[in-house]
Amino acid sequence: MYGRKASQLLKEFVSGEPGQLTGFNNDVFAQVIEECDGNILHLQALLRKMQEEGSNNQTNKNADHFGALVHHLSLVRNKRCLMAYVYNRAEVIQNLGWTIKHADLPAAVKEKLSISENEYFGKHSSNLQSYMLDLNLDLAVDMVPPKDPYIKVRVLEEIGEVLLSDQIANLAMHSILFLKRIDAESFISQGKMEELTS
Amino acid sequence: MESEGTDDYETLISTTDADLLKRSWRNEKAAPEILQFQSSLVQRSREQIQLMEETVEELIANDEDPLTVSLYQMDIDRTLFLLRSYLRTRLQKIEKFMFHIQKAEDLWARLSRQEQKFAKQSIEDLKTHLEQSVLSKLPDRYQSHLKQSVISEEADMGIFFYLNCTYIQICMFANNLISMFS
Repeated sequence: MYGRKASQLLKEFVSGEPGQLTGFNNDVFAQVIEECDGNILHLQALLRKMQEEGSNNQTNKNADHFGALVHHLSLVRNKRCLMAYVYNRAEVIQNLGWTIKHADLPAAVKEKLSISENEYFGKHSSNLQSYMLDLNLDLAVDMVPPKDPYIKVRVLEEIGEVLLSDQIANLAMHSILFLKRIDAESFISQGKMEELTS
Repeated sequence: MESEGTDDYETLISTTDADLLKRSWRNEKAAPEILQFQSSLVQRSREQIQLMEETVEELIANDEDPLTVSLYQMDIDRTLFLLRSYLRTRLQKIEKFMFHIQKAEDLWARLSRQEQKFAKQSIEDLKTHLEQSVLSKLPDRYQSHLKQSVISEEADMGIFFYLNCTYIQICMFANNLISMFS
């Protein structure tokens, strides 16, 4: 049945965890494109036949006419589905750009993206960065309303000496320290620290 | 009548930039569409934050009571959060509705200069991405990112609501179909 493969693609996306990506389904995607190519061939053949017969499509709607219509609708539907698939994935990628820089993207996530998606992520995240640079204000921190300027964190990975906004700190693995929330946030989002809530 | 007048005057006087920022932030959070960018308010808030940061540094240099310093610091943090969250909310709206905002002149005029730059670039990037991934692989007459096919008279691609397109408008195209290919 026309359009079934494309809707499979979308069902796969919807059934995933919201905000998370599964691997780009190149196989099914290519099959849908193939179906579209088939549709256009049939469509053009039917239209040519109708023109040769000289049938007036306003008054005389014969089987060929509706056949052509079915192919056209299948094409349009497939297009919508493919666009929806790519667009909805792109939205997830946009959100990713807020939490992580392109260079820091873990390999596990990277391999789930198609080549074009990877490129898009890079462009989008540098676009965000250039906006922040124009404003001279980092918008990727301060995601939750502040309660206390300092939070207690545990360092999960060896980070070493780092210049923070108010001090130079030695962030050794397993150490527990009081840091400014703004300083700690980027480390937490990279998974190098965790916040300790008592 | 007179007392009402003074009330208004007093509320006007007591409305600080922090209150105004909070109000703009709340409005922006709650409104579905993008609102007018509060450029002078943002400018003033940033100057105020800078001023307060300088004050805090001075207090630290003078060995002031740590409690006083941390109260100031908390105030700065809160204002900064409001400011960041305000700008972030706007940017996320732009990301979501960029094609629509670009098309509607009154919405486009509500963006700041930097936001317009960001929106333009975002549109460019997303368009390239969609073209590379999908559109270039479709037949000629189905390659627009705004229209479903060349016979559509207006932008009917509905770029934000793809997943809801479960029904097909049968026969809508029937009469246009021939003219499209002949």
